[in-house]
Amino acid sequence: MLGAHRERPDALAKVSGATLYTADVALRDALVGMVLRSPHPFARIKRIDTQLAGALPGVLAIAHAGTVPDKRLDFSIKDQQLFPKTYARYAGEPVAAVAAESVTQARAALDAIVVEYEPLEPLLTIEAALGANAPLVHPDWQTYEKSDSRVLRGNICGYNRIRRGDVDAAFAAADAVVESEYRLAPSAPGYIEPRAAAARREPDGGLTVWCGSQSPYGNRDELAAFFDLDPTKVRFINQFVGGAFGGKILMATEWYAAALALQCARPVRVVWSRHEDQLNVFPRHGGFARLKSGAKADGTLLGMRASFFFNTGAYIGYGSGTALIATMLASAPYRIPNLDLEATLVYTNAQVAGPVRAPGGPQANFVKESHLDELARKLDIDPLEFRLKNAWVDGDVSPSGQKLTSVSVKETLRRAAAAIGWGKDLGTDRGRGLAATWWFSSCGGSKARVAALENGRVRVASGNPEVGTGSAAAALPIIVADVLGIDPSRIDMELADTATGTYDSGVGGSGSTFSAGQAVEAAAVRVRQKLLERAEQMLEARAEDLVLEGGRAFVRGTDGPGISLERLVQSAGGEVSEAGEAPELGDPEIDESLVETHEFAAWLAPSFTATAAQVEVDRETGRVSVEKIATAQDVGFAINPTGVVGQIEGGATQALGYALTEELKFDERGLVNANFKDYLLPTAVDAPSIEAIIVQSPSEEGPHGMKGAGEPPVTTPAAAIANAVRDAVGTAPNEIPMTPERVWQALQSAQRHSAGKRSRSTATP
Amino acid sequence: MHPVTLYVNGEKHELVVEPLRSLLETLRDDLGLTGTKEGCGTGYCGACTVLVGGDPVNACLYLSVDADRKAITTIEGLADENGALHPVQRAFVENTALQCGFCTPGMILSAAAFIADDPEPSESGVRAALAGNLCRCTGYQSIVRAVLDAAKHMRDAGRAGERPGRRALIRARA
Repeated sequence: MLGAHRERPDALAKVSGATLYTADVALRDALVGMVLRSPHPFARIKRIDTQLAGALPGVLAIAHAGTVPDKRLDFSIKDQQLFPKTYARYAGEPVAAVAAESVTQARAALDAIVVEYEPLEPLLTIEAALGANAPLVHPDWQTYEKSDSRVLRGNICGYNRIRRGDVDAAFAAADAVVESEYRLAPSAPGYIEPRAAAARREPDGGLTVWCGSQSPYGNRDELAAFFDLDPTKVRFINQFVGGAFGGKILMATEWYAAALALQCARPVRVVWSRHEDQLNVFPRHGGFARLKSGAKADGTLLGMRASFFFNTGAYIGYGSGTALIATMLASAPYRIPNLDLEATLVYTNAQVAGPVRAPGGPQANFVKESHLDELARKLDIDPLEFRLKNAWVDGDVSPSGQKLTSVSVKETLRRAAAAIGWGKDLGTDRGRGLAATWWFSSCGGSKARVAALENGRVRVASGNPEVGTGSAAAALPIIVADVLGIDPSRIDMELADTATGTYDSGVGGSGSTFSAGQAVEAAAVRVRQKLLERAEQMLEARAEDLVLEGGRAFVRGTDGPGISLERLVQSAGGEVSEAGEAPELGDPEIDESLVETHEFAAWLAPSFTATAAQVEVDRETGRVSVEKIATAQDVGFAINPTGVVGQIEGGATQALGYALTEELKFDERGLVNANFKDYLLPTAVDAPSIEAIIVQSPSEEGPHGMKGAGEPPVTTPAAAIANAVRDAVGTAPNEIPMTPERVWQALQSAQRHSAGKRSRSTATP
Repeated sequence: MHPVTLYVNGEKHELVVEPLRSLLETLRDDLGLTGTKEGCGTGYCGACTVLVGGDPVNACLYLSVDADRKAITTIEGLADENGALHPVQRAFVENTALQCGFCTPGMILSAAAFIADDPEPSESGVRAALAGNLCRCTGYQSIVRAVLDAAKHMRDAGRAGERPGRRALIRARA
């Protein structure tokens, strides 16, 4: 059962158009909620007047800074109000919201709201924000509450460092030293379902919210706290989610639907258009990085210095993970005895960057793997050999001193490389590249209830939302079915709904199956126990002689019919229902002396992933065609291999977009490509052939030895593509995305460089 | 306001619509057929793909008045009279050619129309035919495999070239 490829239980409804997403939920009398956005990247709000708008026909509610509690959202730096009061800090920031009978009336009301702005000089880049005498995105930053571990200093809102050994001595001892600088564009999660929510005030003073969140319990608590509501009376009913990729962890539409619904006797629905969704996007961080590394002539790495700067936009939100993870990835998964790795988060007047699938992963890996490839080339060592020489093995330590077990870096590298025929001749302008990484699993807390029913079916309630990955829809049923000895088709998964009380920390950190899987398993084991107790009496046998399999209990070794699950449940007087909970797993031990203001330096059940890419480069146009991507991912144990393959294939294609086309572009008016016309997601024509290789080197902590699987496959392909471009034409852009223009420019400058060298050498007597 | 007669999945609907009302709004909001999705509203993602007269269109850009007296097939009407899934739907289930499922209805309708025109497609042909339907979850590989499987299934079953949504077309003609 576990580990077998199988169809998804939710597939039939999805191919039939029967699956309901948030915008599909029928709500009687729902009002249309819409948002008014600041047109300025940075402006002082001098006045907001809603009187005229409120008098228009069909308008039932208007929300703005003056109608909601005067407090700040509960992030690690309390830097954000629900609606800004004095400053609008990015173009597209919601400053007011209306609820009306129709779209037309809502639009008319937005037009009638008067907001007087005093536009200010926006800070659009990290360089501008860190410049001498730069204005402040948050002029009153010194008054903000923040958590102790958070660095806040003017436009700097995060900093962490990992240091070991002496990098300068390492560079002095090295035979080759390389220095590089890379630039990274911000990009979008790119889910196809724009964000939507509906909210309804309830007679008992509570609030019901229909949403498509990655974290309905966390969102509920945050919303209840902000509006001073009793959290037990606030109910978040999660629907099927049309893709999330980290972009639906923080609330967006939920806030505005709630702020309006609390003023109305009728439900309010807020559905973003794609344009609005992109204006309100929580992007993958852009930024830049400078690296310097040294190695011995035989390829042994001696030291690395890395400095990352990330543009986190107008508010901190959940943006700090990117900087914390970047320093953990900068040198990994390679043995480098001397390290000095730092990352800085910077406020600018841009959209609030967020925890997009594997925050920091694609960025740090592009930077680090490109840089190490340069070093390997300088030493004239094959990139695979270079990586294998330095790769972690069991017993090595992480940058923060965590002792590593179940390490599979070499296996993932070898298998990915073999899958694209590493070392065989490819002809001109074609090349291959590699990248490797490590990642973590998360166990953020999860509860579940499993109920065996009189009809022989089993109902499972988990608070883990189904966002598309199949963790909740496919993997959890497999785990329960395995325990209860039935086919997964007999399991009915309930969607996450806070009314069930089965708390879950949500989809994030490659932790869904890892944590929710343990919760449903614990509950299922208790149900099994109860059922076997019944069977003991009915079959007059001892529990240890009984088997629960094929939907019945029977005495081991007999062919007797035994007793069906239905009859066992009936004899127990109806529904056999038990609760379960994921265990609290402590953090692995690290060497605290190596880290500075770093809250995420201990990684649970680490996983290892390598990608090999094969490309062809058109020298005339700079266009890169990715022919093949092979990703070998160590998932510890694949409970649901169909799901793992889906994560690898989908991750590779998202990463292809990251590598070649996806870029949120800004000018002095703010984000300019807030649509799917100029923001280019990969199509079926762009996507390469993808080979998913599942490596299984079991973890100690994960259920059945699993390691988190969702994020790693998006972190390595862009780096592998960059290295394949370098292999094909001798150079590659030091900038993401590697658009045709940037590839072409890299080719031109390499040509000039080598022409210059030639002329110099001929001039030498 | 304009009176229109739409034949949706074989059912006749007489409606009065605003001149600029999109077919997507009419299907979702007036007829309650929420299987058709809005992903971008500007014709770039294909999530709203439906068949008009058997051909795929972006319902977000197609005016309801232009659909007057035409046969429309949405994902809800793609199965046959007995409720049996269209081979493309079945192949999507068998190949797990979906994750979140939001692009799936449009993707399936584009694919079903395509293999009716090209019953023996190449892989690159399938990819080109689906280039107007964005999927962010799967990486397309399982989708391409499903469409190739469905085409083969239709050939083997003697259904090569069969137009999807036949039920709707027949009823509309009658």
